Formats: sequence, structure tokens, C-alpha cells
Amino acid sequence: MLKSAPPPKTNLSLTSFFSADDILIHQEEVSRNQVIRLLLAHLANGHGIMEVDAYYNAIIERENASDTVVSNGIAIPHARLDDLQRPYVGVATSAQGIQFTEDQPPVHLILLVLIPRDQPGLYLQILRALANILRDRDAAKSVSQMKTPDEVMRFFERGGMVLPDYVCAADIMSDEFIALRDNDNLKTVIDCFIAKQITEIPVLDRDGDMSGIVRAGALLKVCLPEYLLWMSDLSPIVNFEPFTTILRNEQSTWLSDILLEDFAAVQMKAPAVSVAAEMTRHNASRCYVLNGKKLMGVINLPRFLNKVFRE
Amino acid sequence: MYSEPVVKTSPLHALGKLGFMAGITALMGWSAYHFGLAPHALSVVAVCTFVAVICTTLFFWTHRVAVAFLGVAVLIGSRAMTLQGLLRATELDIILFLIGMMVIVGALKDLGFLTWIIQTIINKKRMTGTTFTVILCALSALLSSVIGEISSIVVVLALVFQVCDTLKVRATPFVLIAVLCTNIGSAATMLGNPVGIFIGNKAGFTFSQFLIGAMPVALVALAVTIIVVLLWYRKSIAEMSLKIEEHRKLRQGLGPLIRIPHRRGFFVLTVTVLIIAFHHQIENILGLTGAENTNAFLIITPLIIAGLLMIYRPQRARYYIEHEVEWWTLLFFMLLFAVAGGLQEQGVTRSLADKLAEITTGGPHALVPFVIGITSVGSAFVDNIVFVAAFKPVIQSLMEHSADYSVLWWALLFGACFGGNITVVGSTANIVALGLLEKRGHAHIAFLEWLKIGLVIGALTGVIAWGMLNVLEMPRPVGYPPGAQAVPPPPHATTPVPLPAK
Repeated sequence: MLKSAPPPKTNLSLTSFFSADDILIHQEEVSRNQVIRLLLAHLANGHGIMEVDAYYNAIIERENASDTVVSNGIAIPHARLDDLQRPYVGVATSAQGIQFTEDQPPVHLILLVLIPRDQPGLYLQILRALANILRDRDAAKSVSQMKTPDEVMRFFERGGMVLPDYVCAADIMSDEFIALRDNDNLKTVIDCFIAKQITEIPVLDRDGDMSGIVRAGALLKVCLPEYLLWMSDLSPIVNFEPFTTILRNEQSTWLSDILLEDFAAVQMKAPAVSVAAEMTRHNASRCYVLNGKKLMGVINLPRFLNKVFRE
Repeated sequence: MYSEPVVKTSPLHALGKLGFMAGITALMGWSAYHFGLAPHALSVVAVCTFVAVICTTLFFWTHRVAVAFLGVAVLIGSRAMTLQGLLRATELDIILFLIGMMVIVGALKDLGFLTWIIQTIINKKRMTGTTFTVILCALSALLSSVIGEISSIVVVLALVFQVCDTLKVRATPFVLIAVLCTNIGSAATMLGNPVGIFIGNKAGFTFSQFLIGAMPVALVALAVTIIVVLLWYRKSIAEMSLKIEEHRKLRQGLGPLIRIPHRRGFFVLTVTVLIIAFHHQIENILGLTGAENTNAFLIITPLIIAGLLMIYRPQRARYYIEHEVEWWTLLFFMLLFAVAGGLQEQGVTRSLADKLAEITTGGPHALVPFVIGITSVGSAFVDNIVFVAAFKPVIQSLMEHSADYSVLWWALLFGACFGGNITVVGSTANIVALGLLEKRGHAHIAFLEWLKIGLVIGALTGVIAWGMLNVLEMPRPVGYPPGAQAVPPPPHATTPVPLPAK
């Protein structure tokens, strides 16, 4: 597991990216695209940003690809832009709520974030700074009832939202995962691989500590030991003969037979970049996020790439 | 084919080793000059180059081929060796033999014969830890004596890993047992070890002479080793017995049960061994006699079989040549033989042989413990072929004094093969085994863990070899009948080139 020295602290506040002038209050009904264009135009007037149309298209394209509604009536539309020198944040509130997506409740608080392309972690840092509001179910609605930008500004200032010095593993992990117990048998493992269409599953012991992983590839290796593959002619096993032993014994064989104790794992507070390091080191496509020995979440490679390169 | 383990060294550490190496090389060069073994500048160059290559295999293992390249360049560039001498010294006959055998082993894997061997043992009923250990020892020795130590250890360890992984027992003791017996078995025939074919061919032994001389010693050494390892690893063996019993109660085997066809592979191996065994008779029938044809059919047999196999499986021919032949190792052997040839060409080995004959009292047998001892200790730290290459011209020169010195070929063989057991870097099989063990994520064998059992087995088998060489009437090379004192010139002997004035 990677142990790296924490980067130097910067203590950058979220409110250092915007002022009361960058906040729009909407009492009237407004659509998603309208509020994004209004916010962009407002930022353009205030900060001399020229490429409003190009930025608008980039943001809408990003939004259409995957919505940016984070939780509890808050959306953070954003785009990574090439010719931006520094980040810009615009804030809008909507008392009536804006329908960003069909399947989610209306959004009341919108933070439009424009990020230079070479600062991939900034969006995730902003998300982390907003963690307290994101957890508060009523925060967005209560902000949307405020009448003036100054009131909204004070709300953000009161919250003491400081950007973390770096994005950590917990910020990008998924806390929804499937796990097996170390006293499960091979039948359970095989059923799980097939039913969930996955090829790797973490294994927990009776205390909930992570004891290893099982991989479908390891199961194949049990069935097909290396010395069988020395033969170029596979006709002696053409009818899956080596698999019959496992089939016959799958209920009486514990998963420990294919348990791998060497896997990519980081602690929750480890810098997110250590996830990449661990996955590279172990040639793995998944990294497990632990709190001590307890499994807290999983980061798979597509999720990691999305967080760093696209979100 | 196995990968070369890469050892990373800090620059300061490397510099220290380089300095030490330079010191040893200079000291050996000076000693050779001082004691009259290397009276001229060019002979000192030959000694220093050879010592530098030996030191490289000890201190900078991964760079041994590179340094051997440079060593050959130094010998040619400094006129310590001629180009013709270089070509003669590379021992291409040995290299071709090894290439042929490697292709045959690749085909045996391909044909399922080696898989069948593992499968047969896994399917054996009423297995216990003790029977598994005894079978492992016997198989390691037998396979290494037939298909060579490197191929044998790969096969045997596949069996060890399969059984240990299935039973969840520590594989390290069984890996060590397999390696110890592999090294011992490799001394039994000319096919077991590059050292065997080198000694056999350079001394002029036929395959059957070699077998008659080496097999009894190897068998006694193997029997003693089996007893020692059964006692030494009794806890691990008892644990395995327990796990096998638990598995049996659950009606679980040690691996998948499959019937593997083996007849074609068995036929290929049997034909190869039989032709090699009767090579001398075939040579006589074909008129391949005389010093220039020594063991000619022995050398070409693997080439014939390999050639036929590649015709039989044309789609795999390129694979056999590119992946089953250990080109890296063979290239090192060629270059090493060439560098050792520099000593011969400068007359250093002849001077050493004369000095040895002069100072030895008690006849050739008095030199046996010396040769076994120095080769064993040397082979424990440096590739055993290095010592054999160095001793070859010395023994060839000693044979000119008396044919009784032929016993030293056997001392050299057993010292080199049995001494390889002493440390983890003692033989190529050890290094391959260690690499496989680490690659499988099982464990690393600490230097001391290996040294403890290695030293016991190395010392015991060394003493057995010494004792048996004193008691047994060992076969003499063709052309040196018992009691013969008139000595014909040994095969491949070279005349020293005229040395420049001092």
C-alpha cells in the first residue's frame, strides 16, 4: 500500500473563486440551458471571458453526456477548458427549482465551474469542499429562498468551505460493492461471477476486514494448471475434463483455494493519485479503499479515468 | 524459457564491488606472474581477463554476458588470443549438442510427455508426505539426468506448486528438496548438466563409460540425500501427510484428473537416449574413429532428433528454436569457453598442470579431494561451468604426465554438480527454481536457509564422491586403457602460440 507524504497545505477557500457579483438569484421559472447561459454571460461581463458560446457548448455537451446533479437539489455543471488561465465559479439559485434530469428532483442551487484543462483535480476538490452542503438535505432549498447575492455569499462564507489540499481516495470511490465472506464456497463464488457479470470480488472475514480477493482468472488457473498448457495439442481436455473436478467439489471447496492476498488497496485518506500507483503496481483494474482493514469502497479503472480525465 | 532476474544495486555499492573485483583481478594477475604461471605480459592479460569474467558472474551476475563479450575483445585486441584460437575454444560441438537437447525437451513438453509425468504422480492413490518426497527426489534426479537440470527443475516445480497450492502447505522445503536432487541427478549422465557433456566430450568418455562411472556415485549420493531431507524436513512432510489425509476425507484429489497421451513423447525420448547410449558402437560402424571424431555421433544425435521433430511439427519449429533454446546461457558458455581458451593458448594452464604434477605427492588420487573441494566451493558461488572450463586444459595437460590423472575428470564432475547445492547461486537450476518460487508469489528462500541444508548435502555428497573415487575403478577415456602410461595427445589439445619476448 502506498504511503506518501501529504502535499503542502494551501487552505484555499471555495469563496476565493467567486464573489457576490457572480451570484444570480432566480425567483422565476427558468430552464437548465437558460440558467447555464445566463451564468456564463454574467461571468463574461464580470471577468471579461470572451468564448461564451464555445464554453456553453462544452458545458451542455458534458451535461448531456452525464448529468452533474450531485445530490439534494444541487448541480455542478462544469467543463475543462483549454484557454482558461484560472478557474471561475458562478452561482445561481432557483426558488422554483430547475429540472436538470427527468428522473431526479428539481435543482435549487447551481454552481457553474469553469476549470483550466491542466488542473484535473480542481473539480473534485470543489466537490469535496461542498461535502457538508451535499450531506444537508435542506441546504439547497434554504439557499434558494435567500433574496440577495450577499446573503448567499454569507452562507458560503459561514460554511467555512475550504478546498482540500488534494483529492483523496475516498472522494472518488464507490461505496456500493459486492463482497463475499471467507467461509463461502466455490459454488457461491462462481454463482456471483455469473450473476453479477464481474470478474473480481473482494472477500471479507468475520470481522468485516478485507482478507483478499477472488478472481475468475484464478478459478481458471485452478482448472487449467500451467503444466496442462505446455501441450500445444489440447485434444485431451477438449471436453472440459479439467473442470469436472471443480464441478464435482465446488460445494465442498472453500474460496480460500483461489483467494489472492496480493491486491491493490489504499487507505481512505491517501491521495487519489496513489490509487493509480497501486493499480499500476499490481497490474490491477480495481483498487480497494480501506479504513484500517475495513473495506469502505472500490475504485475501478474506468471510474478513476472518468474522475480524472472527464468529470 | 526463464527470465533473467535483474538485481538493482546502488551506485556506491556497485563501485565498491567494482573496486574489489579490480583488486582481485590485479592480485591474481600478479600472483600468476610471480609464481611463473604467466611469465609474459600477454599471459597475464589472459589470466586477468579470465578472473574478471569469473568475478563478474559472482558480483554482477546480470552483466556476465556483456563482460564475457568484452573479455573476448580484450584477448583478441591484445593479441593474447588469435581469432582461430577463439573459434576453436568456443566448443561449438557442446553448444550444438545443448541446442539439440533443448529443442527435444521443448517438443516433449509440446507432445504432452512432461504433463503426463506430473499427471501420473498427481493421480497416484494412497499418497503420503513421505511417498511424495521420495517420488519427488527420484523424479528430480531421473529427469535431470535425462532431459537436463534446467528443464527438469521447471517440470518438477510445476508438480511441487500444484501439490502445495492444492494442499495449502509451504512450498519452500519441497522446492529445496527438488533442487538438491536435481543437481545430484544431473551428475549421473552426460545429458544431465552442461558440465557433464563438456567433461565427457573433452575427456573422451563414451556415454556408457560416463554412465558406468557417474551413475553409482550419483545413486549413493541421492540415497543419502533422501535420508537427510526426510529427517531435515520431517515437520513439513508430516504436515503434508496430514493435509493429504484431510483432502482424501473430502474426496478431493491433488489436481484435475485427465488422461494425457504420452506414447509419442515417450518414443521420442527413448529413441534419443538409446541412440546416445550406443553412439560409440554407431561411430565405429560409420568409421567415425580417431581423435578428431571423438563422440561425433553423440553430438549429432540431438541434432538429428531435433531436426526430425521440426520436420514432424513444422508449425512449431520456429517456436522451439526461438523459445525453447536458452540462447543467453549458451552464448555465455561459448564466450566463457573462449576466455578460458585464452589461458590455454598462452600456456598458463599447462604451466599450472606442470606445477601441480611437480608438487603433488601421493599420485593423482591425492589431487582428488583438492579438485572436489575447490570445484565445490567455487561452484557454490560461481557458475560451475566456469571452473570446469578452467580445469579442462589443466587436466588435459596432466593426462600427458600420466593417464591415472583421468580420475580428476570425475572429481571435477562431482565437485561441480554436487557443489552447486551449497548456495542459492550454485547452479542454474537453483536460480531458475528461486525465480519460479518468487514469480508464483510463494516465498523467497533466504541465503542462510539454503546454505544450512546445502552445506550439509554438499559436504556429504562431496565426501561420498571422494570415497567412491578412491574405492572404485573409474572408467578411463577412450585411448587410455588401465595401466597405460604412454599417452597419446588428448583430443583438441592446442599448441601454445610463440610468446613475445618479455
